[in-house]
Amino acid sequence: MSSPVERPPSGTTWRWLGWLWLGVITLCAVWLAWMLRHGLPADTDLTALLPADRQVPLIEAADRQLGEGFEDRFLILLHADDRVAATQALGDALETLVDDGQLARVDWRELDLADADPHDWMGAWRYRLLTPAWQQAIARDGGESLVERALRRLFSPAARPDPVADPFGLLDAWLARQPQSPIDAADGLLTLDAQGQRHSVLIGRLAGSPYALPMQQALHATLERFQQAHPEAQLLRSGLVFHAAAGARQARHEMSTIGAASLLGVLLIIGFVFRSPRVLAQLLVPLVTGSLFALALTLGLFGRLHLLTLAFGASLIGIAIDYVLHLQCDRAIHGRAFRLRRLLPSLTLGLISSVIAYVAQALTPMPGLRQMAAFAAFGLIGAWLTVVLWLPRFKLHANPFTARLAERWWRLCQPRRGLPPWLALVLALGLIALCTLRLTSDDSLALLNPSPAALMHDEAQVQQLLDRDTGSRYFLVRAADTQALLTRLAALDKRLDQAIAAGLAIDYQSLGRSVPSAAEQDANLARVRTLYGAPLVTLIDRAGLPAEIAQAARARLDDAPRLTLTDWLATPLGQLQQRLWLGQTAPGEVAASVVLSGARSAAIADQLSAIADARPGVVYVDRVARIGTLLGELRRHTAAWIAAAMALMTLALIWRYRGRAWRVIAPPFGATLIVLAVFALTGVPLNIFNQLGLLLVLGIGLDAGIFNVEYARQPSAWLAITLSTLTSLLAFGMLAFSATPALHYLGLTCLIGLASVWLLVPWVRPREPTTSHPQPEESPHA
Amino acid sequence: MSQPTLAHRARRLLSLMLACVCLAAPLSAYAFDLATLQQRLAQTPSLAGKFTQQRRLADLGSSLDSSGNFRFVRGQRVVWQLERPVEERIELTPEAIVNGSGDRTPPGGEQVARLFLQLLEGDWQALASRFEIALAGNAEAWQVTLTPKAKALRERISSIALDGGRYIDHLTLHTPGGDTLAVRLFDQHPLSGDAP
Repeated sequence: MSSPVERPPSGTTWRWLGWLWLGVITLCAVWLAWMLRHGLPADTDLTALLPADRQVPLIEAADRQLGEGFEDRFLILLHADDRVAATQALGDALETLVDDGQLARVDWRELDLADADPHDWMGAWRYRLLTPAWQQAIARDGGESLVERALRRLFSPAARPDPVADPFGLLDAWLARQPQSPIDAADGLLTLDAQGQRHSVLIGRLAGSPYALPMQQALHATLERFQQAHPEAQLLRSGLVFHAAAGARQARHEMSTIGAASLLGVLLIIGFVFRSPRVLAQLLVPLVTGSLFALALTLGLFGRLHLLTLAFGASLIGIAIDYVLHLQCDRAIHGRAFRLRRLLPSLTLGLISSVIAYVAQALTPMPGLRQMAAFAAFGLIGAWLTVVLWLPRFKLHANPFTARLAERWWRLCQPRRGLPPWLALVLALGLIALCTLRLTSDDSLALLNPSPAALMHDEAQVQQLLDRDTGSRYFLVRAADTQALLTRLAALDKRLDQAIAAGLAIDYQSLGRSVPSAAEQDANLARVRTLYGAPLVTLIDRAGLPAEIAQAARARLDDAPRLTLTDWLATPLGQLQQRLWLGQTAPGEVAASVVLSGARSAAIADQLSAIADARPGVVYVDRVARIGTLLGELRRHTAAWIAAAMALMTLALIWRYRGRAWRVIAPPFGATLIVLAVFALTGVPLNIFNQLGLLLVLGIGLDAGIFNVEYARQPSAWLAITLSTLTSLLAFGMLAFSATPALHYLGLTCLIGLASVWLLVPWVRPREPTTSHPQPEESPHA
Repeated sequence: MSQPTLAHRARRLLSLMLACVCLAAPLSAYAFDLATLQQRLAQTPSLAGKFTQQRRLADLGSSLDSSGNFRFVRGQRVVWQLERPVEERIELTPEAIVNGSGDRTPPGGEQVARLFLQLLEGDWQALASRFEIALAGNAEAWQVTLTPKAKALRERISSIALDGGRYIDHLTLHTPGGDTLAVRLFDQHPLSGDAP
């Protein structure tokens, strides 16, 4: 492994350390392979990044359950002039996917009248279920006022009267209050009539995961073919599978454009400067070992990893590319004269200042940020060790072109005048003022949503046409047992009914509406007995039916069973409500959710929160607002921590550089300010993702600042700074062109920030050779 | 009304030719089919009349009898005005069923209403997706029998019989339980005011 060109700085100890490091990395790799044999224990829930809170697991469970129904099925609304033929064509095409085993089933033809008729299975429970209106009517006059209505119903051509089982139509009245599907049948097809338009409804159920690529491609191709054959047909799509497919397509597309462009750019630049493919490989070794080391240690420390940690942690390790480039530029230019000893202090300072920043982050109470900090810090340390211990021993051909290029490039970029400190201060203050006045922030859920706008529009329109809510707002209700829970739900429903009657523009779905508590069911049966007294006799008489029917009807009440929650959830109508039931959530605790739909506004949210706060065991949850709050919390914590890290770094640098410290901090801090000022001027809001981008800018900028001051007279340092900002710009800045909001913001920040770092460095370069430097400067040109 | 267009004239010529063909053909070959029946019924775009409705309940051995009058505008609505034993105005349209009393329709009620409307219209194309349809008789005295195709529907309706001449005179619905719903329509006359 030893290179014939140069020797490691201090012989055998150094070499021994190199072997030791190889042992550590091998150990990490083996341990990781063993740990990951069942896959990466990764979290994707954003909330896993936040401090644990007693209530959160239950809310998470409710969130998951409310979202579940949307994962394994999709819904397509079709609108066309020639609706029947178009629907037939699409339905047949989708049926072939069922035959191929890609889909479990597709429903699109009119279901028969008798399908899922509640009269067939609700019969026995009806005498214990009464709507509030009927309860009031019976309380008022024993139910005499209900006779007229019952007569009308008995003689309606559309009704199916059964004078013995249900002379008054108790069940129909109760069912009319239950949630009903807006999907209907027309022309032999499942149909939705809404907002003056008639749509065909096609409901598909997946055979496997919504992320299965062959199924996604088959479904996509089927819909594309249909759309080409029926260009006039308008399709609205809803379902996770479409979002997952769009995400996969977008990732593939961006991989082949943005990814390929940045990879090609990095290859061209490194190849041009070093004229050796080996340098490229050597560039990657520290990044790979650093990531390996970080992954092993972070997993060992936390037990689990969040995907966000992995993505951004790996990006932050990209700072380590600085160490490689500084070392390699120096070696390529100085050849045999290369001494690691001369570079070591600056490399170490670069590492320490970055790690300080991450240690500061590790002290925050946010587990997510702690994980990310640990990952980045371990990664940087690992990459640094590889650079220092291994790289000098790898063979490198010092091409004379590199030295000539560095010299010419250095002369070209030497400004005639430096930036005076007072001007830098004035500019900085100006930018700070601009930022405080104009900068806005955005913590909306849309940041996490990579779906194209057209698909989101489709989804919103489908939800609106179906008058359905995906369960993004709900009450979480808890109680000691099922009966207590049903009582609580009934009380909450009653309160909501009052609020709705008073003008609150919402609707709700509650198990309480379907299943009254046992006590309430007993009271209802007593009410029905009253109704079956004189009013029943009147009804039978006026209908012209024989009087003994009254006796037969009363006999039915004697063995009327109670409707239990379990009974209800097993019925076809109850199955629609299974998502509301959370079951036993803790010993001695059951829970259910009450899903809300309808208008949204801050005032409504306040009113709903107030309703929840006023009752025991009830919490109001707004998933969208909650995720926004979580993102905001993460953003504020990151911002505070960046500020603290900047302060710590400044202190450390003042201690070392004294009056010249400003020259070191000007590139990272200046670039940060420029990024924020550009955002402020162009109205780009600050969010968690561009803040994470700022961390990268700070790290690379700081390394550039240190090397710029330490090696002010050395063309190799300026070449290394140029290369590291340029390659990082290509690797991260190109992400600005991504359509995924998170990546776009990270990329945009890197694009502006890294360009600013590079532009600032020459202006703050010291004119005179460093004097405060503890080691005498060795000039290769001497 | 504007003067007859070319298309109008062509259509008139065509029907004249058709009439000649019909007259020329032997009378026995004259086919009375569902399409012809539908055309014949459609010749009266709107009509009014009286009805009696008898729902015989097999289990009870008794029946629910009612009567009233109706107005029917083809393709648009039926207004079913109950007079005895209770007053109620029910309006059935392809989209909805509206009660005079404002009661909400029970689940599935819209589908029953739509079926009722399709039967009154003689809309065989729409009915053919769910029923086997058989026609007997001639233009002056015809009978149509509908039998559900799907098992689920057969559990609710065993058969539906319609008969009539110029108009539909009787509609009878049999259920597997032995109940029947018999509707007699009489004193029917076209509504001239609505004629196009």
